[in-house]
Amino acid sequence: MTPLAALGDRWTLIAIGIVAAIAGTPLGPALAGTMLGHVLVQIPLLVAAGWGIGRYLEPRIDSQLRRWNAGGIPGILLASFAVGFWMIPRWLDGALTDPIVNAAKVVSLVVLAGMPLAWSWPRLHPVARGVVKIELLAMLFRLGWLYVISPDRFCNSYLLTDQVWLGRGLIVVGIALGITWLVPLFWDGFATATDAGAAGTTTR
Amino acid sequence: MAEQTAPPLPPSGRIGVVVYLAISALVFVLMMVLGVLMRLSQATWVELSPNLFYEVMTAHGAGMVGISGLAASGVIWYFLRRYVDLSVGILWANLAFFLFGVVLILGGIFVGNYAGGWTFLFPLPGTSAGVWGTGGAASYLFGLLSIGVGFLLLYLDFARAIMARYRSLAKALGWPQLFRNSSDEAPPPTVVAATMVLIVNIAGILAGAVVLVLILVNLYAPQFAVDPLLTKNLTYFFGHVFINATIYQALVAVYEILPKYVGRSWPVNRIFLAAWTATTLMVMAVYPHHLLMDFVMPTWALAIGQIVSYLAGLPVFAVTAWTTLTIVHRSGIKWDMTSGLLFVSIFGWSAGIVPAIIDGVIAVNHVMHNTMWVPGHFHMYLILGLVAMLFGFMYYLTDQGSRKGLD
Repeated sequence: MTPLAALGDRWTLIAIGIVAAIAGTPLGPALAGTMLGHVLVQIPLLVAAGWGIGRYLEPRIDSQLRRWNAGGIPGILLASFAVGFWMIPRWLDGALTDPIVNAAKVVSLVVLAGMPLAWSWPRLHPVARGVVKIELLAMLFRLGWLYVISPDRFCNSYLLTDQVWLGRGLIVVGIALGITWLVPLFWDGFATATDAGAAGTTTR
Repeated sequence: MAEQTAPPLPPSGRIGVVVYLAISALVFVLMMVLGVLMRLSQATWVELSPNLFYEVMTAHGAGMVGISGLAASGVIWYFLRRYVDLSVGILWANLAFFLFGVVLILGGIFVGNYAGGWTFLFPLPGTSAGVWGTGGAASYLFGLLSIGVGFLLLYLDFARAIMARYRSLAKALGWPQLFRNSSDEAPPPTVVAATMVLIVNIAGILAGAVVLVLILVNLYAPQFAVDPLLTKNLTYFFGHVFINATIYQALVAVYEILPKYVGRSWPVNRIFLAAWTATTLMVMAVYPHHLLMDFVMPTWALAIGQIVSYLAGLPVFAVTAWTTLTIVHRSGIKWDMTSGLLFVSIFGWSAGIVPAIIDGVIAVNHVMHNTMWVPGHFHMYLILGLVAMLFGFMYYLTDQGSRKGLD
């Protein structure tokens, strides 16, 4: 086994690569250059990277996890609060002006949001997953709407037009996610239904 | 019809349904008292101050809509549980969220003096001219949010259980039989109805969750001036879908009980499946018929509101009314309170739809808007249709039903 392979599978390597690129290359500041890039690209990428790393680590710390993460609820709450914290404009500004705050953002989104999400989502009851998805959609629409109509800037570092673009982006992401989650609920069974050719139909 | 394969209903589940209906019956009576009080006040037989009148009106509206939703969800839960493995815990959790919401709503109205109507139309919650405070309006809105969370849990559990058995919402709506002439057995009517209800109500609750929070933000930070027209559209989408879906939930009592009385099964054919699919879309598209006098609405939206008004009541209603008549005809049915109420409910539903369709015509609406025609239509629809279905089901749940060996 090569040292690189020992770090995990391909997705884990990609996840580590994403974190390294955002934390240590101009990609991070470039994404944070616009509010849209910061909130809708950089932050989700860090959470996704945390998910990738968490997936790799889960089998190795499974027994400890089960003890504190019953039903996945504590982990989902932790991830929600961690992401919610970085939605506060004051801290988005801080991440742009203070390298320590920016480092805290990278670490917390990977360790406190992405990793707990990977450990919790598969354990979550299907109804709880539905609640998380519906609340996420509602929050994207609410924040998007607020950003679009706000007469004031939330962040000192971004222009009002940046904010409006983020608002529109949040609404578009909400619609896209809604469609992405809805279509399989209908399509899966429809595509695999038996045609009436082989047997007589029972539906009059 | 598909076999009833879910595990037997535990006593806590039956008790849950009975508690839903007992609370509903009690609240129906209380709300009727409030309704009579308002009519007496309008007739100047009883003197209510204008502020108190509107508080009573708000409580009556919110109470009737909420309790209709609770009772109807109890009916559909009871029958859906025969086909899919629903969670009894979530049935009780919905009730807990509901009761918590009721406390907040009553506190908002009678302690906080909120009197802006159950529809909480923006900007009314935040512009009371000193009649009620921010706290009263916020309590009312949080109450609605709590009730919404409870119903969201219930309908997500419907979705989970239906997906576990049918693997997709398309199958549960009978689309393979409808569109692909599939040889698979069609889902029973209750499953089709529950799938329609969960789709429209989850969409409605999502809209409500967005608009309620935005109005709450506006209450405390008025500089966030939300668009009144968009807010009104979302409010009506949420509210109209929710109240409209109550009759489609209670209707399941007719589908499940009447066939037992006549010894015939309720036919699930392609017309039935097409009707429910069409209604799924129409229930979500019909609400603009309440916005016909909002002249800033886009013309296409008003045209949809008017056209869908003509059509919305028809598919499921026509199929159900026709099937009710045909399965009862020469069946030798023994008429009692249950069968009588369920049969009459279909007449009440039909009679209630007609004034709704008339009011959905723009030319008529121009005159009838903001008159007693509108409350007249939905009281007829709900009392003769929904309430008759609910009371028919209540009779069925009593010993009277089991003595006949219907279960």
